[in-house]
Amino acid sequence: MLVNAIEAKGLVKNYVTWDRRGFFKRKKRIVKALKGVSFNVIRGEVFGLLGPNGAGKTTTVKIITTLLLPDEGKATVMGYDVVSEAEKVREVIGVTLSVEKGFFWKLTGRENLKYFGMLRGLKGRELDRRVEEVLELVGLKELGASDKLYEEYSLGMKARLALARALLHDPPILILDEPTIGLDPMSARTIRELLVKLAREEDKTVLITTHNMFEAELICDHVAIINDGRIVAYGTIGELKRRAADRLAVEMIIAAPHTILGDLEARISKLIGIRELGLEPLEEGRARLRIVVKPGEEEVIIAKSIEAFYSNGIKVYQVRVHEPTLEDVFILLTKGSK
Amino acid sequence: MPSTSIDIIRASVFSTYAWLKNNKWLFFSMLIWPYLMTFLILALGMVYGSLETYRERLGISNPVLYILASSGIVMSSLMIVDVVATSALYHRWLGTLPYLLLTPTKTYKVLILEPVPSAILSSTMSMLAILPGAVFFEGLLGAGKLFLILLVVYLGMLPLIGLSVIIASLTLVLREETNIASFLTPLILLLSGVFYPIQVLPTILQGMSRIFPTLYVVQAAKLTATYTIPEIKALLGLISALIILTLIYNGTASLALGTSERMVKKSGVI
Ligand SMILES: Nc1ncnc2c1ncn2[C@@H]1O[C@H](COP(=O)(O)OP(=O)(O)O)[C@@H](O)[C@H]1O
Ligand SMILES: [Mg+2]
Repeated sequence: MLVNAIEAKGLVKNYVTWDRRGFFKRKKRIVKALKGVSFNVIRGEVFGLLGPNGAGKTTTVKIITTLLLPDEGKATVMGYDVVSEAEKVREVIGVTLSVEKGFFWKLTGRENLKYFGMLRGLKGRELDRRVEEVLELVGLKELGASDKLYEEYSLGMKARLALARALLHDPPILILDEPTIGLDPMSARTIRELLVKLAREEDKTVLITTHNMFEAELICDHVAIINDGRIVAYGTIGELKRRAADRLAVEMIIAAPHTILGDLEARISKLIGIRELGLEPLEEGRARLRIVVKPGEEEVIIAKSIEAFYSNGIKVYQVRVHEPTLEDVFILLTKGSK
Repeated sequence: MPSTSIDIIRASVFSTYAWLKNNKWLFFSMLIWPYLMTFLILALGMVYGSLETYRERLGISNPVLYILASSGIVMSSLMIVDVVATSALYHRWLGTLPYLLLTPTKTYKVLILEPVPSAILSSTMSMLAILPGAVFFEGLLGAGKLFLILLVVYLGMLPLIGLSVIIASLTLVLREETNIASFLTPLILLLSGVFYPIQVLPTILQGMSRIFPTLYVVQAAKLTATYTIPEIKALLGLISALIILTLIYNGTASLALGTSERMVKKSGVI
C-alpha cells in the first residue's frame, strides 16, 4: 500500500518569455519558476502548498496535474508518473485551477457539470445522480443556483461549481489551486469544511495551494512553504510555529493606501534595517505591518519604525507585541532567506 | 476509467445542444442567413441585368436555387473552419482548455473530436435551412438534390477539419491571441468560386483555390443544381479531388498536432 499519494522530486521549470522592446524587437528572458521542488503528500491528508505570489505554486500544480512538462525532476501521483503515465494520473485526480473561469458562460451550472461528466465517461442515471450529489455537496442546490446560467454566478458560486466538477468522477485525490481566493467568507468556509470532511470521512487526499496562512492553519495537516521556486520549510503547523519560537512578532496598524504598499515595504525595511517584515492591506486605507524580531530588540525596532512613519506622514493606529503566528513564521522564512 | 472517443463526442453534442437551447436567437440567425445572402445577391444582380442574363452568364438553369445552395455551402464551410480552428483558442479564452486536457485520454483526441460535433451540426443546419427554398423551386427533386449536396458537403468537411486542426495547432503554439482563422474566412469566400466563377481571379489565386476543398464542393453543387441528373463522371472527379485533399491535410494535421501539443505543454501557455 502506498504511503504517499503525491511525490515530487527535484522539479525544475524554466519559462521562456519575450519582453517587448519596441514594435518588432523582442528580448528573450528566462524565468526560473521552479528551482528543484521536492515534497510528499501523505494519503488521506490535507496538504497545503503555501507561498506568496509568484512563488511557483501554480507551476507546481500544473506539473503534477500533467498540464505542464517539467524541465527536470520527477513527480508521481498514486505511483503513476506525471509524464509517462499522464492518462493514468488524470483518472485519479480532480482539479481546480483559477476559480473565476473555466465553464461555458451560456450554460447553467447543471449543464456545465453534465458536459464535464460526459467527457469523463459518465452517462445516463449514473451521470444524473453524480451531478445532483455534487451540486448538493458544494451547496449550490441550497443557493438555488443549479439552473442559473454560469454568467450569472457570483465568484463564490463559481468556486463551488469548480469544486463540484473536481468531485464529479469521485477521484481519490483533489488538487486545488487557491480554491478560496477572493471568496465571500461564507463560500470560503463551506469549501474549507467540505475539504476537511472529504479527507477525514472519505479518505481523500487533498492538496491545496494558498497564500492565506489563516486558511492553512485551519485545515492543513502538513504544510510546505514555497518561496522563489524553492521549498523553504515543511512540517505540521505546530512544527513550523516552533521554528520561530525564539522570536517575537511586532504588529502595527498604519494608515497607508494600498497602491503604495509594495514600495513602502522596501522603504521601511531599509530604514529599520530588518528584512523579516510583511505588509498586508486592511480595510479603509489601513495596512498591517508585521516584523519578526529577536527578543530584546522589540523596543528599539518599535521606536525606529514609529519615527520612520511619522517623518513620512504615515499615521500609526496600534502597536502590539506577541508570540509568532504562522504568518510570522512565513515572513521569517520567505523574507529572511533572500 | 479512460474516456473514449464516443464520450468526448457525446459530451460535445450535449454542450452544443444546450448552448443552442439557451441562445435561440443565434439558432434563428443560422437558419435565415442563406436567404438573406441570396436576396442580397439577386437584388444586386437585378440592378445590372435580369435573372435571364444571370442564368446565361453562369450557365445554370435555376440561379436562385444555385445561389441558395452555394450560400449554404460557403456558410457551412466557414462554420467548420471557424469552429474547429478556433476551438482551442476559444477554450483557452473560456478557461475550459485545461479541463479538456485533463480528460483521461490522449490530448490530441480531445482537441480534434471536441469541436467536430458542433461543426457538423452547424454546417448541417445551414444546409437544411435552404431546404424550403429547394422544395419551393423544384419540389421533391430539389430536396433530393439538396441531400446529394449535403453528402458532398460532409465529404468536403474532412479535409476542412484537417486544415482547421493545422491552423489550430499553429495558433496554440504562436501564443499570440491573433486568430489565424480570421484570415482564412475571407480567403474561403474569395477562392470558393461561389458568387462568381474563379476564372475572373488572377492566375495565382486560381492556383491557390485548387488546394481549398470548398472549390470542389461548390462545383459539385453547381453540377447538381444545373442538371436534372448530375453527370456522374464529373462528380466522381470532384469527389476524388476531395479525398486526395483529405489525405494530405489530415496527414499533416496529425503531425502538427503532436508537435504543437509537446510545445504547448513545455511552454506553459495553457
Ligand atoms: N507561462 C508563463 N510564462 C512565463 N512566466 C511564467 C508563466 N507562468 C508563470 N510564470 C512566472 O513563473 C513564476 C511562478 O509563477 P506561478 O507558478 O504562477 O506562481 P504562483 O502560483 O505561486 O503565484 C512567476 O514569476 C511567474 O511570473
Ligand atoms: Mg498561482
